[in-house]
Amino acid sequence: MKIPESILKQVEKPGRYTGGEWGEVIKDPESVDVRFAFCFPDTYEIGMSNLGIRILYNILNEREDVWCERGYAPWADMEEKLREHNLPLCSIESGTPLSEFDFVGFSLQYELCYTNMLNMLDLGGIELESAKRANDAPIVVCGGPCTYNSEPFADFADICLIGEGEDELPELMDIYKKHKAMGFDRAAFLREVSHHQSMYVPSLYDVEYNEDGTIKSFTPKFPNVPAKVQKRIVKDMDKAPFPKNLVMPFIQTVQDRIVLEVYRGCIRGCRFCQAGMVYRPVREKTPEVLNEQAKILADATGYSEISLSSLSISDYSCIEKLTDELLSWTDDRKISLNLPSLRVDSFTKELMDKISTIRTGGITFAPEAGTQRLRDVINKNVEKADLLRACRVAFEGGKTQVKLYFMQGLPTETDEDLEGINELAESVIDEFYATPGRPKKSPQVTLSTACFIPKPFTPFQWEAQCDLEELQRKQKYLMGKVMNRKIKYNYHDAKVSRIEAIFARGDRKLCRVLLEAAKRGIRLDGWEEFFDYDKWMEVFADLGIDPAFYANREFGEEEILPWDNIDIGVTKAFLLRERHKAYEEKTTPNCRLQCSGCGANKLGGERSCCPKA
Amino acid sequence: MLPESVNAVKTDIKVRVKFSKTGSLKFISHLDLNRTMQSAFLRSKLPVWYSEGFNPHPRVAFTPPLSVGVSSLTEFMDFKMVEEVEPETIVERLNASFPAGLRASLCYAPKAHFRDIKWSLYEIKFELSGKAPENIEEKTKAALSADEIFIEKYSKKGEPKVVNIAQGIRFCSSSLDGNVFTVNVKLSCDEMAFVNPKYIAEVLEKAMPECFAGAENEVCRMEVYLADGETLFS
Ligand code: SF4
Repeated sequence: MKIPESILKQVEKPGRYTGGEWGEVIKDPESVDVRFAFCFPDTYEIGMSNLGIRILYNILNEREDVWCERGYAPWADMEEKLREHNLPLCSIESGTPLSEFDFVGFSLQYELCYTNMLNMLDLGGIELESAKRANDAPIVVCGGPCTYNSEPFADFADICLIGEGEDELPELMDIYKKHKAMGFDRAAFLREVSHHQSMYVPSLYDVEYNEDGTIKSFTPKFPNVPAKVQKRIVKDMDKAPFPKNLVMPFIQTVQDRIVLEVYRGCIRGCRFCQAGMVYRPVREKTPEVLNEQAKILADATGYSEISLSSLSISDYSCIEKLTDELLSWTDDRKISLNLPSLRVDSFTKELMDKISTIRTGGITFAPEAGTQRLRDVINKNVEKADLLRACRVAFEGGKTQVKLYFMQGLPTETDEDLEGINELAESVIDEFYATPGRPKKSPQVTLSTACFIPKPFTPFQWEAQCDLEELQRKQKYLMGKVMNRKIKYNYHDAKVSRIEAIFARGDRKLCRVLLEAAKRGIRLDGWEEFFDYDKWMEVFADLGIDPAFYANREFGEEEILPWDNIDIGVTKAFLLRERHKAYEEKTTPNCRLQCSGCGANKLGGERSCCPKA
Repeated sequence: MLPESVNAVKTDIKVRVKFSKTGSLKFISHLDLNRTMQSAFLRSKLPVWYSEGFNPHPRVAFTPPLSVGVSSLTEFMDFKMVEEVEPETIVERLNASFPAGLRASLCYAPKAHFRDIKWSLYEIKFELSGKAPENIEEKTKAALSADEIFIEKYSKKGEPKVVNIAQGIRFCSSSLDGNVFTVNVKLSCDEMAFVNPKYIAEVLEKAMPECFAGAENEVCRMEVYLADGETLFS
């Protein structure tokens, strides 16, 4: 049932709910075996910005036996209408209530969307807790980077897919079809699922805790359920499934462009960065395949911009060849090329000439820390001289605006390091005036700082986040140091970062917190107008759960961590080694210079720089 | 706006396309329609003229925007091409690149200006909320043909103001089929006397609350006319 027009006329941006976009897939429900609702637990604009999810949508729909539809979190005005009129949350394509699907899948990209998932289940008429779901209720399957620690939402997910979904999802469909044909038994189905690589079924494990709240044991309930779940990777990125069509939103989204994933993983190994670890090993696509795929996407979407995306795009071994090949046709088709995530040591005149012929605007670098000492601690192998050289190239090329990203509250950080952030900005300004042939306008440096969040599967996973007051003091401190009017300073809300830290390292005890938060109407936390820190703190207080246990406690190196049941390839021993090196202020070379034996090579992978396992 | 370089346009071929906008498209704003067209152009690979500069884009002019929630069988857009292409081919390639709610029907060289469009014919379908009076058609005609039809409009500042919109309404016909009541009415889309079709529902509700109060309605623009309200725009 589609949403009545009288309601659509009363809400903001009705285009979020109507569907009918170019590339939308409509099938006859009678003609398919599996109906899958691919849900994004945030608004339509955010969900449709994620090209990876749109690709998965089409991969599933290219199968004749599956109809994959989409679902998004309604904005508050629509939620109110749905609740007022007692209408269930439905899929975009056919207007089918979520409760009528075989699968309801959620892509969890950030911790703040957990409450949206619960709210969507509730609006969709699905029991929040997997234990309460009836045999024929939808299977709730979670994927996305957050599943590397699925414990905070373990009670709500029937299945968590660990790793890269391109092959996982189709495989899951096949298992389901088999069970459906036999007369579906939920328990038996979930048992079989757990035997497949990377498919984690949280309900099949028992967790016991010590008196101090740390984990005592984590045991499979049955002998043939694996104690550790190994992540899945796409071995050969050139052969990863790639769709011929894509759905195109009518309304403006956050990313209205083609985002071409050039390679997966990162050779760098910054010690705070989760993506840099969980996507190991690096696997590149060849320029030929990328060029073909860019053409397919350009034809299918009609976007006028291609953004080359990867964790650190300039580390791509064939970047020159790729940009040349792309530029040979993009200009003619009025398509511009964009390279985000440039490293300062790779920022050359040649590269900038290529992109600046098409794109204006400022440039962005991420030194992450203000002093060389702290940059060594976090293994961000960037030198001040490199940054200044890159800025000079940019200034010579006519740029005046530089944006610098930093993290505050990193392990071992002192006020001197914070001061270093301002000093770096001052040096960039000085460099501007020392550049012959600089533009006539005056320069501007924008400092943007985020708060450090200890993330699972990083060398800093054991670290405590500074408490809230200290995070805020650091922000004030730096604010006090920035005197130059040509320097602007923005920072993230430390309260948001604290909630993220709590759930990033959460265990199953937090399921209760999420459940209670959902009951109290907490959702849309990613939106300033709805985020309410005090409300969260009330929930923790009322349930007698200490948020500092998760965010502000240094985890013991011997401790069983909530995510120890997941095997991402990179070993805990490597992460520990890296942690200790951080304290010694020693850096680790990037994977192309030298393998540091992280363990990810055991997963295999084509066009990686790992030694053969 | 960036100056156009002299040789940017090899040939300056102006094209007008007539299209309909229905289904989900009626909930899409003018800005989003524009964006949708731009991507459809790129998908169609038609030799559309693009502006020069850092952010090249085709320059497209549309007929006056519809209110959100209103569909239309008669929309026009003008744009320029850099090569001659058969009108049928343009229609075909656009339709192959359009989402389901957009359909191009005609293509030709424009004559009249969009600013000459002064009247729109709307079909408004009501799903009556109560039993229709015997003489619903007469009463509708009377209500919409009166010399004085007052409604409350809101100024930009949000202050209510009572206006007579009778001059901007030309009643055409009505018909009742079960509980579906259809009204065909021409409304002014002149900038000075613009009448939003939603006012028709308000006027009818005042006249016959027993069947119009809370009645759902669907509005569709059928045709657009020049100042006399009789000559079709093309
Ligand atoms: S195995 Fe070696 S080369 Fe491969 S990701 Fe790990 S450290 Fe890098």
